Amino acid sequence: MATTIDEVYDNTWDDPRKRSPLVTGGLDYGQVTSTVTAIAEIPAPPRAWYILMAISLCLLGMLGVLLLHLILSGVGVWGNNNPAFWGWPIVNFVFWVGIGHAGTLISAILFLFRQNWRTSINRAAEAMTIFAVVCAGLFPGVHIGRVWVAYWLFPIPTEHLAMWPNFRSPLLWDVFAVGTYATVSTLFWYMGMLPDLATFRDRAKTKWKRMFYGILCLGWTGSARAWHRYEMAYTILAALATPLVLSVHTIVSFDFAVSQVPGWHTTIFPPYFVAGAIFSGFAMVITLLVPARALFNLQHLITMRHLENMCKIIVATGLMVGFAYTIEFFIAWYSGVKTETQTFIMRAFGPYWWAYWTMFSCNVFIPQLFWFKAVRTSPVAMVVISIFVNIGMWFERFVITVTSLSRDFMPSSWAYFRPTFVDIGMFIGSFGLFMTLFLLFCRFLPVVAMAEVKSVMPHDEEHH
Amino acid sequence: MTQSHNHGSTEATTQAGPTSRLVGILAEFSSPDKLVHACDQARQAGIRRMDAYSPFPVHGIDPAIGIRRTRLPFFVLAVGLSGLFLALGLQFTVNATDAVGPFPGYPFLISGKPLFSLPANIPVTFEVIVLSSAFATLFGSLALNGLPRFANPLHRIPRFKKATNNGFFLMIEAEDPNYNPRQIRNQLEQWGAEALEEVHLDLTDQKLPGFVKMVFVLLLALCTLPPALIYRARGDSNSLPRLHFNPDMDWQYKSKAQRGAPNIGADDKNPEWIFADQRAMRVIVPGTVVRGQLRDDGQFFTGIVDAPQGTTAIDKDRQYVSTDSAGLQDAGVAQDTAAAPPEPNWMTTFPERFEVTAETMARGKQRFDIYCAVCHGTTGSGDGMVNQRAMSLNALQKANWTTARSLHDHTVIGQPVGRIFDTISNGRGTMGPYRSQITVEDRWAIVLYIKALQDSMSEAVMQDDDGKWVPVRTVAPAVVAPADAGSVPSNDAATPVTNEGGQAETATETKANGDGGTSAENPGENSGGTN
Repeated sequence: MATTIDEVYDNTWDDPRKRSPLVTGGLDYGQVTSTVTAIAEIPAPPRAWYILMAISLCLLGMLGVLLLHLILSGVGVWGNNNPAFWGWPIVNFVFWVGIGHAGTLISAILFLFRQNWRTSINRAAEAMTIFAVVCAGLFPGVHIGRVWVAYWLFPIPTEHLAMWPNFRSPLLWDVFAVGTYATVSTLFWYMGMLPDLATFRDRAKTKWKRMFYGILCLGWTGSARAWHRYEMAYTILAALATPLVLSVHTIVSFDFAVSQVPGWHTTIFPPYFVAGAIFSGFAMVITLLVPARALFNLQHLITMRHLENMCKIIVATGLMVGFAYTIEFFIAWYSGVKTETQTFIMRAFGPYWWAYWTMFSCNVFIPQLFWFKAVRTSPVAMVVISIFVNIGMWFERFVITVTSLSRDFMPSSWAYFRPTFVDIGMFIGSFGLFMTLFLLFCRFLPVVAMAEVKSVMPHDEEHH
Repeated sequence: MTQSHNHGSTEATTQAGPTSRLVGILAEFSSPDKLVHACDQARQAGIRRMDAYSPFPVHGIDPAIGIRRTRLPFFVLAVGLSGLFLALGLQFTVNATDAVGPFPGYPFLISGKPLFSLPANIPVTFEVIVLSSAFATLFGSLALNGLPRFANPLHRIPRFKKATNNGFFLMIEAEDPNYNPRQIRNQLEQWGAEALEEVHLDLTDQKLPGFVKMVFVLLLALCTLPPALIYRARGDSNSLPRLHFNPDMDWQYKSKAQRGAPNIGADDKNPEWIFADQRAMRVIVPGTVVRGQLRDDGQFFTGIVDAPQGTTAIDKDRQYVSTDSAGLQDAGVAQDTAAAPPEPNWMTTFPERFEVTAETMARGKQRFDIYCAVCHGTTGSGDGMVNQRAMSLNALQKANWTTARSLHDHTVIGQPVGRIFDTISNGRGTMGPYRSQITVEDRWAIVLYIKALQDSMSEAVMQDDDGKWVPVRTVAPAVVAPADAGSVPSNDAATPVTNEGGQAETATETKANGDGGTSAENPGENSGGTN
């Protein structure tokens, strides 16, 4: 019977004589299954789960109340006003969409590059992606003002409106990009989960659970023919999701770059946004997985090597983001465009200097600590740094959105943006939505892709 | 091997007959490699109808079983290409054509750009391709796999639950031509099977559960509702407006011109008024002043010395323009004062509330250049661009424009500040009122600037050879006829100055600018002086 390696093994070092194992702990196939299913099978989850759920539900409730307040009163309850008509709602949208990039990147791009270490973390990362996209979709959804006519965003023939959306507008591209991304991520996630849902079905003790998981897994049996088509379909989905994940933040950046506002109208935006999205997404994966791994005893499946690899990606993308910040300054100077130069000087030394330097420190300076192996392999340090990265990436979107709008071409229309309590409350509340969904996912669905982990386990070749 | 005789198989074999049907034999193996090995052997033994079951995709099992490469990619390609054409077609039809039909197009003309430009239509096209291909991939693979399939005889076998955990199974179907119950058992044991079990399809339990039937019946019953409603409404007529689920401010509670009552629940016999007095707005409460409209300083707001103090609506009801404009136009300037009612006591000094400073002067110039200079010219000499253009149209009989008055006209020069303020506020002749465009303070600032302009013209000075400042204009501007295009221009003043030489350049400019008023008929002469 195949088992994972069972010795005290630091798999963060690469021994040139053999491949470092991806999963450890001397587990056989059955033990891998029971490790993962235990989370859903234990009668009561750990106390920390209840505490976190209580906090998340409170925040979710606050979000609900504030949404009601917003819809009943109108968008005037936000701090958005002339000239900064895109305030926190758009900042939060870009923030959450960015976070939603890591999941598909891990599932699709690392799959195509045959990075087998992704198997332990892809499921949770994909779930995180979908929940982040839910949070992201919420903000532009209510930002349109009259949410009851949100269907106007889509090309739906209406007798009442008698017109169509403008297909050449980046804002419409955004609707298609984010909508497609949410749908394809969900399909990808669901398809990857089918075999594991079947595992849950086959281990279910009660009739209702059996029916629930039985319907969800569509009667999966794990037949070789089904696996063959499944693997083909998974590869195709990965190949579709890879350009998709790059296109989504590219199109989000078009919302800014296609306009003529100084500080927005730059060609560097698409790659810069995509790098930032991966950066923030991996930070969020670390923020969530390190505690979840400890809480649900997944250390053998999500090993230090997995975490260390993610830290390395954070350092790489952090450098890309830092390079983008610097090159923006250079281009502003090199172009000789006065408004552009003024905008960037204002960002760093103007009324929003605090936001700019928070962004720069959190995104460029602090991740440099990951160059030290001791930091890279310390769960506490990586969670702290990943939270800093999340803060920094929120501020990046704030700096881009708010500073450029509040100081554009006409000094007469300059103003300082101030958020209201609704802005702040809705942003915090969106974490409640995100965490509630994630905690429910941990409790009721397979957190680790068991079938994929089993396929990368070492297996003995005795009968050949 | 001992486990193979469990209740399922024995029961089925004893009961054999129409109650159940043998589907095949299921063999369990302990590792993926043994499974692949067994599949290989079975294939070599001539068995074709078989399938393996494993908790994860086993490497190398496809050739062992003889699974052909799936056609899924071609299906996805076809759907993706359809997505391409669908997206491009949709965008072209609805944004670039005004095609009529059930869903008419709506051409968007934006900044004169082409109606259809491929680069701008690529993002949506790309997303639609990805979306349709992703659906095709998932649903195509499910359909090829025969999923969802909730009733599967394999699920009746407890051992088979290991197939999603740590068991590796091979099932050889009874329908295979080479299926021989005895022989196959021996062969499978030989190939390393740890347990064997027959799989039976239970023919007695083919019925749907009771609640599923009920749900179906209920759904069917509900499906009859729409046709029933349609049948009831057949040939019917209805005076009510159609259902409007989301009113969205389409029917507001408001008064409309030419209508008796607000158009919500508009029922002429039983009108519903917004207010009892049938007005849509409220009348100002007597004795109150509208915020921001307190006119407590009559002089400041009218330019008249003995203006009533503390009145609330001074700007109203004083309409010299409307009462007398016809007469003024016909009779010309001379009859202005005669035709108008007795002249009020115009203020000759600026009101107390208006401070005469360099700032107000600068403000006045700025406002003047915005509101007044288009007709009266930046120097006030009546040669603004609008005036020039209109006069040229007049010459072609294409317009009937009354010349903008030069502010250096002798009829204007002597006007008290209050009178100029009143002209700006309420208009005069064909000039319209500007009280709603320019604030009171700014109107006074303009008056201040006009006075300065007039002073600069009438008292232009220059330095003589000894450096003393002396008046440039030796001829008083008595002879002026700005509207008379035929008169001989008086260049007397201009000629000597331009001959003065380099040292008086600034003064020359001032003078030449100033002269623009008196010799506007001859722009060629002083074009060098005006910038």
